[in-house]
Order: sequence, then structure tokens, then C-alpha cells
Amino acid sequence: MSANAAALDAVAVREDQLKLGLWMFLGTVTMLFAAFTSAYIVRRSGSDWRHVALPSILWLNSLVLAVSSVAVEIASLRGARGGWRTSAIAMLVACALGILFLTGQVAAWKQMVAAGVYLPTSPHSSFFFMLTGAHALHVIAALAVLGWGAVATVAGARDLRAWTSRMSLCRTFWHYLGGVWLFLFALVSLY
Amino acid sequence: MTHAHHDDRGFVRRYIFSTDHKVIGIQYIITGLVMALVGAALASLIRLQLGWPDQAWPLLSKLLPAGYQGGVMLPEFYLAVVTMHGTIMVFFFISFVLVSGFGNYLVPLQCGANDMAFPFLNMLSYWIAFLSTVVLMLSFFVVGGAAAAGWTAYPPLSAIAAAVPGSAMGQSLWLLAMALFIASFTMSGLNIVATVLSVRAPGLSMMRLPLTVWSYFIASILGLLAFPPLTAAAVMLLFDRHLGTSFFLPSGLVVANKLLTNTGGSPLLWQHLFWFLGHPEVYVLILPALGIASDIIPAFTRKPVFGYRMSVYCLWAVGSLSMIVWGHHMFVSGMSPFTGEYFSLVTLTITVPMTIFGVNMLASLWGAKLDLKSPMMWVCGVIALFGSGGLGGLFLGNATADMQLHDTYFVVGHFHMMIGGVTLFGTFAAIYFWFPKMFGKMMNETLGKLHFWLTFAPFFTLFFMQHFLGIQGAPRRYYAFTAFDYLQKTRGQNLVISLAAFLLVSAQGVFLVNFVWSLVKGRVAAANPWRATTLEWTVPSPPPHGNFETLPNVTRWPYEYGVPAPDGDFATQDVPAASVPVTA
Repeated sequence: MSANAAALDAVAVREDQLKLGLWMFLGTVTMLFAAFTSAYIVRRSGSDWRHVALPSILWLNSLVLAVSSVAVEIASLRGARGGWRTSAIAMLVACALGILFLTGQVAAWKQMVAAGVYLPTSPHSSFFFMLTGAHALHVIAALAVLGWGAVATVAGARDLRAWTSRMSLCRTFWHYLGGVWLFLFALVSLY
Repeated sequence: MTHAHHDDRGFVRRYIFSTDHKVIGIQYIITGLVMALVGAALASLIRLQLGWPDQAWPLLSKLLPAGYQGGVMLPEFYLAVVTMHGTIMVFFFISFVLVSGFGNYLVPLQCGANDMAFPFLNMLSYWIAFLSTVVLMLSFFVVGGAAAAGWTAYPPLSAIAAAVPGSAMGQSLWLLAMALFIASFTMSGLNIVATVLSVRAPGLSMMRLPLTVWSYFIASILGLLAFPPLTAAAVMLLFDRHLGTSFFLPSGLVVANKLLTNTGGSPLLWQHLFWFLGHPEVYVLILPALGIASDIIPAFTRKPVFGYRMSVYCLWAVGSLSMIVWGHHMFVSGMSPFTGEYFSLVTLTITVPMTIFGVNMLASLWGAKLDLKSPMMWVCGVIALFGSGGLGGLFLGNATADMQLHDTYFVVGHFHMMIGGVTLFGTFAAIYFWFPKMFGKMMNETLGKLHFWLTFAPFFTLFFMQHFLGIQGAPRRYYAFTAFDYLQKTRGQNLVISLAAFLLVSAQGVFLVNFVWSLVKGRVAAANPWRATTLEWTVPSPPPHGNFETLPNVTRWPYEYGVPAPDGDFATQDVPAASVPVTA
């Protein structure tokens, strides 16, 4: 393969394009959860709607996710000032907390099942399992992106601009999913 | 900056797992055309049944033993055929060929870019689309056969495996195929939007984009916003089908003499979510056809399109309004009359920008000496079908009239003229116009014109007549009308419609012959055989890997026709202002 063709096939994507692509992707994810929410509101008016008790571990999970967002911010701030060691530790902590969040969500599911609340038990439980499951799938995708940022941070970024751009994607995706979780938690708890 | 390259990639990287937008575009087009043959074969089975409902076809019993008994089509097989015909034609033919195929091929070229913004994602999107096609086709061969709940997959029929044979594994595979299709279409749409926003050539401002690119841009935004709700609905439907939930299944359903345990679900919820996608999807399909027609017209009138800016504003208006009109598909679902009034009002409002766009196309022909080469003839077909088919929309958008016409052949005739006809004729216009660019060969003009007339005449006969069947009260999706006294007098009409359908399907043989013959024996095409102005015509036919030797410097709008220029009466978008005066 010629050098030129190899360069073209290397599929160089610019930072601004990645950012644009991420925002568009988040737009589609927003529409997905908006549709789930509108379905929730419609189904909520059904005569068979029965609220099920939600496990209290969800509060702890929310806290874990919030702290992981703070860790990503610390990693970003420290790295920008050359504090690579702190930054790397913060990114690894953020990833670990992300995994802990998912583990906590699985624990919440298990607690509900142990209490006799299954997916088809009531429309409320159906939505709870479905919404938390859909969110968890997105968190897994975001964890992959976060890992991508952590790898660059642990390696100690040589190209600060590229690292900042990568971190910007990590922060946007991760905080967005944190926001979606808070919204979903409020929806299934309060409405 | 050098971009076009000597291409020494291997066969697999070059033609199969290629990241080149042109190869991916052609892959989509070929896949879509093959699926069109399947869709057309299914349409033939439908028309055979409706034209001769009492006739036995022993040969079909041998070919399709699961669908025919004693030579007579089984009603449940008819439902599966109708479902798969609609699904294939909407999602796997028009979406593939017109939206993903030509969108991929044209957008980077017309933007002066060397490829899409995300080439790898682009390749991934095609192969996921291919996988979705395989899954859909497999559904014909599972126990119970293909899905039979209509292309709209309304529950409860689609939610209960025991409802009809097609509601078993066939419906699950249908949902899986749709989920894969949506994932692929989202990737493709995201790529088109990102390409338009981020890799336009220097000087190519948004208001210098050809209407083709504008139409793909807006259609892709619509797809990105409208498809996720269908994903949500599909997930809920799968849960209802396999995991015992009751999102869409109401209380008291009895299927096969068995009372189901589901309670409280809402089938109408599915309809809302489906049509929140379904109506914008109509525009996702139709806008590219209109954009393409608008760009082909000036090459054969030798003058600029009329009202470029207004056409762009209309595309935006139509796109925006299309997101808030979905309820007009559900006027008979028991919605509040006030809600119905709202949906009527916004639906009829959408006709304003659509009509302006249509009149702009007509005005673009005004006073011109038309050069009726085959692409232009297909564009005339687009305009004719857009005008006459659109008229039916005025009746269906009005709640009062729709109550009478809902679920009749009036609706079938209307949408076949619009998202069937405008898009089909737009697709052929695009193929005849850009075939020389894609393959470096000209298509045969005589066969192109013959193909046009042998398609247009039966197409118009077929679907115009279906409007009148609808007015007489013939319901859609019925297996036969023989049991209804009031429809006995429509037997003759159904016969004529069926004959027209067979002529229409047969005529596509002319196209296939022309396509293959031109590929092999066609006259070699110049870089710009139509003397057109957009950027794809500034590169060789076919364009090299990487498209442009150097990134073009755009100096003008895409409709610089009727100007004194060294090459004739036009200037491509990259001709320096010093050579030919810039008019816009």
C-alpha cells in the first residue's frame, strides 16, 4: 500500500469532529430516554399501576456515580497542570467507581428479586428494570471511553492538546450519563 | 494539500471492507436494488391474489408450499407478504438506495471532501445494515414464517406469539432486524450531519450547498431524532413478547381461547411511538428525492433553480413540522377531537412549505427549453407524482375526511404515490444522472426512456385507481373482497390494477438490462457529461480514492447556469471568480 493511501485509510478524525459526533450521539440517547419517559408517563395513568418499593442502595449508587464525576474533573484539572500522578489516580478511581456503580445496580436488582419484585410484577417494576438496564448499557459504553482516557493519563500524555481533547470527550459522556441517572432516579422514585 | 491517491489496496479492503464512501454508497445501492427485487416479487404475489382471488396457482404451491395450499394462497401468508413488502420497500430499498446509498456517495463529493467525517463508522454502518438484511430474510424460513403484523407492527398482533403464525419467531427476527437497521441508520445519519458540518471545502458556506446536500442534512437530523423512540418501543415490545411485561398489552385479551394474564397496557402507546418515527421517516425518504430532483433540473434547463433560499427554508420548515404531526395516522384511535384538530392543523400547515418547494421545482422549468434526457424524464415523474399524490394528503390530513378514508385503499394509493413514487422516481433519476460518475459509463438513453414510460404509465394507473377503490370503501390489508357485496363492482378495477402492477414489475427488466449492459458496454463517460456545476463533476468519472487531487476552493453557489463561460453556459462551483463572474 502506498504511503498516501495508507495515510487516508488510517482514518484520521479531527478533535472537533469527535466532539460533534459525541454530541449528536448524546442527542439520540436523549431522544431514546425521552421516549421511555413519555411511555412511563402514559403507562403511569393505567388503572393497574402499582408503585413498588425501591431499594435504598440506589442512593448509595447515586453517590458513587457523583463522586466518580468529581474524580474525572480532578483528573482533568490536575493533568492540565502537569500533575500526572494525581490525575492518573483520579482517572483510575473514576473507572473503579463506575464499575462499583454497575455492581451496585446489579445489587439493587437482586434485592428487588429477593423481595419478590420481578420485571412483570407491575408496570412500575417493568419500567424500573428496563430503564436501569438501558442506562447501565450506556454506562458500560461510557466506561470504555473513560478507560481510553485513563490509558492516556496513566501513560502521561505527551501531546497535551490531544489529551485535553480526549478528556473533554470523557467528561462530557460521563457527566451526561450521571445527569441521566439522576433524572431517571427521580422519575421512578417520585412519579 | 494532496488527497487523491494511487490506490493499491487489496480487493477485500477496496471493495468489501472499504472505508471509501463511494464504495459504501454503491454497496448500499446494490443491496437495496436486490431487496427491491424481493419487495417487487412480494408485491406481485399480493396483486395476483387481489386480481384473481378465486384462482388456484399450482406452480406457486410447489414453489411456496408453506404459503399456498392446493394452489390457493393462505390468508396468514398474505398478511406476511404484505408486512414484508412494506418493510422491505420502506427500510431496505428506499432507505438503503436513496438515503444511505446516494447520501454516502454524494454528500462528501458535493461538499468537496475526500471522505465522510467518520469513515470507519461508515463501513460499520453498512455491514450492520447488511446483517439486518440477512436477519430479515432469514425470517422467511423460520417456523411460522415471516412477520405478519404489518410494517407498522401494531400490538397486540405483533406482541403475542400465538396471534398468527408470523407473530412467533418471524416477528422476533423482524424486531431484531429493525434494531440493527436503526443502529446502522443512526450511524449513517450521524456521519452525514458531521460531514456537512465539519468537512466542507474552503469557501463552501452552508448557503452554497446544493439542495441535494441540504435535503440529506435535514433528513439525517430527522432520522437521528425520530429513530430512537422506535428503538425504545421495540425494546418494550420485545419485553412484552418474551419477558411477560404489559407495556402494550391490555387486560382481557383472549388468544386461541386462552385468557392472557397481561393487564393495563396500551396498544395506542405503541402507535404513538411508532408514528413519532413513522411520519418523520416519510420525510427522511422524500426530502432527498426532492433535493436530487432540484439539482438535476438545472442541468437540463440550463438555468438556475428557482427560489434556492426559499427552498432551503422550506426544507427546514418541513423537517421541523414533520416532528409534530404524527397523530394524523391515528385519527380513528379515539383521540380527543381537540387533539385531532391540532394534528389536522399542523398537518395541513406542512403543505405550505411542501407546496412552495413543489412550485419552485415547477418554476425552475418555466421558460426553459427542456432537454428531456432520461434523468430529466424521471424528474418530471417526481414532480407529477409529488403534485398528484400530495393532493391526497389534503384529505387524509383532515380528521373529518380521514375518518372515512382511514385504512382504505385511498391511503395505500396516497403513500405509494408519495413515499413509493416520488422516492422511486427520484431514485431512478439519481441512478440515470450519477451512473456515469459512479461507473465511468453512460447508460443507454433509449432504454432509459423506454423504462421511464413503461414505469410511469402503469405506476400512475395503479396507484391513482387505488384512491378510487378507497373512496368506494375497499379496506386495505384484506386478503380478498369476494365476501363483500358492496365491493363486487370493484373486481374489474382490481384486475386492471393487478395488470398494471405486473407491467410495472416487468418494466424493471428493461432497467436491469440497461444497468448491466451499460456497465459492460456503455459509452465511456466524460468527467462532466451533463455539463453540471456541483463539485462531483470536477473530478474524473469514476472519482479516485480520496476524490480530489487538491481540495477545491469554492467560489460560487451550485447553480451557475446561463452565464458566459469559456466552457459554455455554466461554471462549476470551483471556477475562479476572475474567470466567470459570480452571480450568487
